[in-house]
Amino acid sequence: MGDIGINVPGLVAQLVGFFLLFGLLTVVLYKPVRRMLDERSNRIKESMEQAEQIKEQMAKTEEQVREQLGAARRDGQDILAQAAQMGERLKEEARGEARQEAEVIVARARTEIERERDAAIDEVKRQFVDLAITAAEKVVNETLDREKHRRLIEEVLEQAPGGKG
Amino acid sequence: MGRIRSWWGGLGKWRRIGIIAFLCCLLIIVGRLLFSTPQPHVELPAETLFGSFFTNTMLAALFTIIVLGAVCFAATRRMKVVPKGLQNIVEGLLEILINFVDDTAGKEYGRKFLPVVATIFIFVIANAWLALIPGFMTIGFWHTEGGEQVLIPFLRGANTDINFPLALALVSFVFVEYWGIRSQGFSRYVRRFISVGGFFRGMGMIFKGKVKSGLGALLAGVVDVFVGFIEFISELVRILSLTVRLFGNMTAGEILILMMIFLLPWVVPSLFYGLELFLGFVQALIFCGLTLVFLVMAVTPREEHE
Repeated sequence: MGDIGINVPGLVAQLVGFFLLFGLLTVVLYKPVRRMLDERSNRIKESMEQAEQIKEQMAKTEEQVREQLGAARRDGQDILAQAAQMGERLKEEARGEARQEAEVIVARARTEIERERDAAIDEVKRQFVDLAITAAEKVVNETLDREKHRRLIEEVLEQAPGGKG
Repeated sequence: MGRIRSWWGGLGKWRRIGIIAFLCCLLIIVGRLLFSTPQPHVELPAETLFGSFFTNTMLAALFTIIVLGAVCFAATRRMKVVPKGLQNIVEGLLEILINFVDDTAGKEYGRKFLPVVATIFIFVIANAWLALIPGFMTIGFWHTEGGEQVLIPFLRGANTDINFPLALALVSFVFVEYWGIRSQGFSRYVRRFISVGGFFRGMGMIFKGKVKSGLGALLAGVVDVFVGFIEFISELVRILSLTVRLFGNMTAGEILILMMIFLLPWVVPSLFYGLELFLGFVQALIFCGLTLVFLVMAVTPREEHE
């Protein structure tokens, strides 16, 4: 084997060299790089999880906001509807009141008119009686008792159509 | 440039060949005259520098170790999560190796195999590439040997000393057997090489009187024993093949470059330097790849045949 140079010291020296490099690289290359790669992949995983969480949270928040908006809109619509109803009712009430008032005024006016008319009729009747008596007195020349006459005429008026009663 | 091209295109075929031949001759003559080198002396065993056994290849290996250690130390001294500069380069390169090992051996064994496989790759490729630095094989001292002056270089690529590939092959072999025994258990692992179960079963059947089926089992047992023996031999032959492949390729490459420098000392050897860069990479890849494959084979349980 001497021709191509295999010898024990050379072999041992190269073995020692290999294990020297093996140890050296383990300390300054494999371990730190492995650690770093692991750390990096951990970090990436963590940050991805975080991103996922944030996304979820955002979706949740958005959902909440949407819900709140919906609720607010519904509330607003309710309020509007209520207001419209109330307005309607108020209008209705006002209209009813106005009508009642008008009716009262009309009724009052009617009774007033009736009373005026009665008074007028009474007045007319009384003047007519006086006039008739005066006329009769002139005709008969005070032959008749004044009280008797009045009674007589009133009886006639009572029986006449269009009289009071 | 355009004018030269049109001039070149206008020439006839034979003129062009003549010009090329003339340039080549010029190259050789100028090279031989101005940069002539002494006739190379090819010596397979590594030359000793001083003492009785410290060879120039050991010095080169030590040089490689120091360079690698320094580079890696500088790269990983202050590691940052966001890599930059040298750390980035070294990490990226190692990551390629890690992925290669992990893809072949799986995540679990990849972690365990990485140091040995990666060290083999890095050591071989660094030895091969550093040996291309000018000064390797050319700077040395003169030594008279049998009336002939011989240059003993201070540095010679460690790959070209057969002790280095042999050491690597032994390391590879020992690691393969270690992981095989460790993952399979000693008896299970050894049963690959010594499988006498079938043989004794056949013997037992013959003694019990079932001669016909017993003979069949005996024959199968003999084949098993033979296969186990071949398996064992092939395990040992790996050491030889790994050693000789690396040693032969790298030594041949180095002799090729020496010869080219001697024959055509100008410009031409650069091409062979490029070839050697590629060869160094390929040999490193083959050595570490084979070791990795042997490791995977050793830890993969074989289905027991009954």
